[in-house]
Amino acid sequence: MKKFVGYLGRTFIQFLQDLSSVYYLFQETVVQALILFTNRKKLEEARLLTHVYEIGTQSLLLVITVASLLGIAMTVLISFQLKEVGGYSYIPGLVAVAIFREMGPLITALIVTGRVGAAFTARIGTMKVSEEILALETMAINPVRFLVVQRFIGLLLSLPALTMLANFAAVFGGFLFGSTRLGIRPDTYVRETLEVLTFTDVFSGMMKALVFAVIIVMIGCYRGFIVEGGAEEVGKATMVSVVSSTLSIIVFDTFMTGAFYG
Amino acid sequence: MIKAHGIKKNYGSHTVLNGTDFTAERKKITYILGTSGGGKSTLLKILIGALKPDAGNVIFEETDITQLEGSKLDPFRKKIGMLFQHGALLNSLTVGENISLPIREHTHLDENIIKIMVKMKLELVGLRDFEDLYPGQLSGGMQKRVALARALALDPEVVFFDEPTSGLDPIVAAVITKLIADLNRVQGITCIVVSHAVEEAMRIADKIVILYLGKVLAQGTPQEIKSSVDPLVQQFITGSPDGPIAFHTSRKDFREDLLVE
Repeated sequence: MKKFVGYLGRTFIQFLQDLSSVYYLFQETVVQALILFTNRKKLEEARLLTHVYEIGTQSLLLVITVASLLGIAMTVLISFQLKEVGGYSYIPGLVAVAIFREMGPLITALIVTGRVGAAFTARIGTMKVSEEILALETMAINPVRFLVVQRFIGLLLSLPALTMLANFAAVFGGFLFGSTRLGIRPDTYVRETLEVLTFTDVFSGMMKALVFAVIIVMIGCYRGFIVEGGAEEVGKATMVSVVSSTLSIIVFDTFMTGAFYG
Repeated sequence: MIKAHGIKKNYGSHTVLNGTDFTAERKKITYILGTSGGGKSTLLKILIGALKPDAGNVIFEETDITQLEGSKLDPFRKKIGMLFQHGALLNSLTVGENISLPIREHTHLDENIIKIMVKMKLELVGLRDFEDLYPGQLSGGMQKRVALARALALDPEVVFFDEPTSGLDPIVAAVITKLIADLNRVQGITCIVVSHAVEEAMRIADKIVILYLGKVLAQGTPQEIKSSVDPLVQQFITGSPDGPIAFHTSRKDFREDLLVE
């Protein structure tokens, strides 16, 4: 029991330390991003579009495939329940609201965490282990500006865009199932969807995507920066990065849903 | 001139540096020699401001760099170059991009001039045709030479070398040693070399500092070190397995250790 309480205490203190370090990294990233935008030459060298391509475009196929399958699965489940009460007309609205508010931003962020956040940790962690980060510092180059800022801006631009595309793909998946298998007329499906969906639904989803982008970049990069040792530690850090990022996204998602609709 | 005074550093209960004092003169080659795990790399990290000592200070041009943090260290760092033990080249950039990185960051030179500078630095280390290759495509020795070219990119006043010849074949090692000597004799660059290569130090150093158990055991010109009567110094420079420096560094008694098991 004593050991368990000690373990809990240590974990909590570690958590607070990590939290303050991530906050410091976030602050430094914002400051360095602002500095970058005031320097045209450095902004061109930062190759922001390359990062948008690597983070966003290369995740597109995966995100759209998963989202459209999710849309179909949700429609199947909801129709199964509504069949009993004959409420098929509620399906388009229900699916669209659930996707735009919750499932779209969440599923996109989780995919990007696994694909991109893990890569950030592995890349920066490997650089740390091979003294590349120390070499940057010795050359008076700020590692946060050199490694984090482009990824931060890249993900802030990519994740909302990916989320929006995932939302449409998922709604389209629902539309396909609803119109072909449930006998809902296509025009009715579209009309119902548009009637129910509000600006707040779309806006809250986009806000979530922005917050998730910050979480993925900050945790991904932070876990890389604190790696000490060798290949095994890089592997562990990548695993911890994905787990803590996933958990943080779900916790923030719950709070934000509560804040918008509670 | 770089002056380290009373440097102490502990990792937990393990003391790595225990009051290290030494001076590296301007435009001279200073070799810091010591056994493996004797605190050489830690001292080097403290000298370049990458690690804070628990006590003591490092004076460079009348500034105590141990008191500086973050971007306040930048003016100092722009005056120094550092050759890391394994090169520490950025693997995602080509050889040319690696060398031009500090130039791009800290100057406003035209792209054509940067290209010429990169070629000049690569010529200095004999690798001019390798500009477009990635570090992963080069051998260890070549990577080290590229890393040296990068360390020289901003024409530093002082260059620090961390084990510049370890793990290299004798010819490449000799080439690197000659490069260090040339940098100093021709360009007047102050060189501070952390190493355990005694012969190489005897050949080119102006001053040798021997670290042992976190303290300076001896310092002086190669001639003075050679003629030292201290048995520790003699054992170290002759590389003898028998002598006061023990091979075993275990802190526990062997018999006790076995019996407990």
